[in-house]
Amino acid sequence: MFHKLTLILVTLVVLLSSAPAWAKLEVVATTPDLGTIARELGGNDVHVTTMALSTQDPHFVDAKPHLALALSKANLLLLTGAGLEVGWLPTLLTGSRNPDIQAGGPGYLDCSSLVPLLQVPTTAVDRSQGDIHPQGNPHFSYDPRRVEALAVGIGKRLGELDSAHKSGYFARTKSFLEALRAARARWEARLSKARGQKIIAYHDSLPYLADWLGLEVVEHVEPKPGIPPNPSHIAHVLEVARTAKVRVLVQQAYYPSGTSKLIADKSGATFLQIPGYPDFTQAQTYTAYMDDLVAKLAKALGV
Amino acid sequence: MKNLRFLPRGSTALVVLLHAAISNAQNEPAPAPAPSSSAPVAEPASTSPPAAYPSPSSSPPAENQADLSEIQAALAADSRSSATQAPAAPSSPAPAASASSAGVQSLNPDLSFIADFAAAAFSTEDHLQSGAHDPRRNGFNLQALELSLGASVDPYLRFDSHITFDLGGVDVEEAYGTTLGLPFRLQARLGQFLNRFGRLNASHPHTWNFSDQPFALGRVFGAEGNKGLGTELSWLTPLPWYVELVGSAMMAEGDETSRSFLNGSERRVRGPQDLLLLAAAKQFFPLSDDWSLAWGLSGAFGPNPSGPGNRSAVYGSDVYLKYRPITSQSPLVLSLTSEWFYRRRQVPEDVVQDVSSYTELFLRFAQRWAAAARYEHGTAPFGTSGARVVDPLDPEWTASRQRVALALTHYPSEFSRFRLQVSRDMPAWRTPIWAGFLTAELAIGAHGAHSF
Repeated sequence: MFHKLTLILVTLVVLLSSAPAWAKLEVVATTPDLGTIARELGGNDVHVTTMALSTQDPHFVDAKPHLALALSKANLLLLTGAGLEVGWLPTLLTGSRNPDIQAGGPGYLDCSSLVPLLQVPTTAVDRSQGDIHPQGNPHFSYDPRRVEALAVGIGKRLGELDSAHKSGYFARTKSFLEALRAARARWEARLSKARGQKIIAYHDSLPYLADWLGLEVVEHVEPKPGIPPNPSHIAHVLEVARTAKVRVLVQQAYYPSGTSKLIADKSGATFLQIPGYPDFTQAQTYTAYMDDLVAKLAKALGV
Repeated sequence: MKNLRFLPRGSTALVVLLHAAISNAQNEPAPAPAPSSSAPVAEPASTSPPAAYPSPSSSPPAENQADLSEIQAALAADSRSSATQAPAAPSSPAPAASASSAGVQSLNPDLSFIADFAAAAFSTEDHLQSGAHDPRRNGFNLQALELSLGASVDPYLRFDSHITFDLGGVDVEEAYGTTLGLPFRLQARLGQFLNRFGRLNASHPHTWNFSDQPFALGRVFGAEGNKGLGTELSWLTPLPWYVELVGSAMMAEGDETSRSFLNGSERRVRGPQDLLLLAAAKQFFPLSDDWSLAWGLSGAFGPNPSGPGNRSAVYGSDVYLKYRPITSQSPLVLSLTSEWFYRRRQVPEDVVQDVSSYTELFLRFAQRWAAAARYEHGTAPFGTSGARVVDPLDPEWTASRQRVALALTHYPSEFSRFRLQVSRDMPAWRTPIWAGFLTAELAIGAHGAHSF
């Protein structure tokens, strides 16, 4: 009786666990920017899930168990890396029981390894400097030049994992890159007069945007990364905003806006809230997202 | 932390494209001074044949090679054309990732150290605090100093350990290996670990909303909670929602870990009947983006020393409901945790039973501030007839016990925490006990990953 039961159970497990041959490549992206790019490159050959919402601070995502379920079925995990997901991904990754997407596995792609990172510390760092990322700044997808490198890396990996559809991945990667190149020329032209303008950011999450567009981030509303503002720092930021004639205070929508609005009001700067990521659930493309971001920036910067 | 050392396969080929993608940035005239360093992008680019992109380890069919070359050519052309079109000159990027990550590569395990200190005041000396890491006496207390180490052993296993120091000595809280790639979504753990009974038992004090342990855990399992040497197998079922089934077998002894089972006595293990066996089911329901519900059922079964063949069983159910708005900006977190334990132990000529529970409401109302309230209840022990009986483990526990606690927590950052907690313990068999704690927690080292 016992052996019969075991046999039935094992059969059930095998049947339920094996994926059908016609299944799409399952891609799980930690953040919506990577998910958006993967969906554009993967087209109908992939099914993409993102772990963080576009309205959510990617540093603080709840390790909800159903995310481990998505990871357990994944053929490819795309993570931003550089410590962005360190507070929530490791537990889920271990709990996923999926050897393919563990670090070093064929389905594990740390996207920070695809792009040159900014703010890589060259001297010793510790947390007295705030919740810093010792491997460099992970908010790189605001720079379309780096997104080109991301697309190349992701497209290449998709082709490796699903060689039957390799030509499709490469064709879509090619058209993505072409469209991005054209759009970038447009964005750069639109914002060319903004070069050298000074902005204030909430968190140190805009260095890549600033680097790309030649903007200068003169101060942050957070005194140190991850540390909420205090009155004396706000006074300091206000003074910087006035003396440096800052035009815009920019922040992602997932950061609190009260303090920033106050600083903007008192200094005469424009308060600009940008979506932190492409709206993945509404199937917004990366280019559409950046079109919107560039338009908002141009308007706020008065160019 | 060590992820960066795994560059994708064929990264030389990648670098070719990366180089092509970024080269226009370097070739363009710069109207504005470039703020970042101008270190070259990875070198292998110049030495790789252009047709190498992307070259997977398996030999690619010829048509794919053609595709690759086409992408390559398209990029190169775009690169040239955009160099003349783009008015803005992006500054050259920082050193390439391969170079930047070299500095943080290490085979050392992730290491962190967490200290919990408390200043405590009790209205009476013989209070009923039952947690090993609870503040225990008036004045200053070291609750725990926990050293955590963890790393992958090899591609098949990872190893985690939590070693707790207090002024009296060292305790191996946990030290276990976890499999990473068993088939059929199975996972095994082996070593010394906290049993996954209910919600709180398997967690560490620094993740708790209060500075002491609910008395239910101390009453049923012991001061340290249920843990021991053993092995565990868990299965993530292929059902459409999250259902995880857990089974474990561990040593049933220990007055601070398995007091309802073999307690302080030892017994030669002759078979599974002499071990503490656990079965648990854990379910999770993402009700919406903002609302989540976790529900668990657990049962622990093992021998007790009251007579030959006498056994104990503990059944538990835990519910965790969480509201955290992530569809809009908000610091708000609201959660409700409730856990119930029903215990029955065979003793000579009777069965001793009791029910213990705690219910917690937690509210983070600002980025750095949270408040919490907890209500605990434990029934008097009762026999098969329902009449009160004497519990040989807690002979003074002759009536029901309730305790209420309130806590206010301040988080200067993710790595430190200060908490004020006040509680009133109301055992019906004696006068109520007031307790006040002021606790501090400091964490250094690797950023620990939080479980849900």
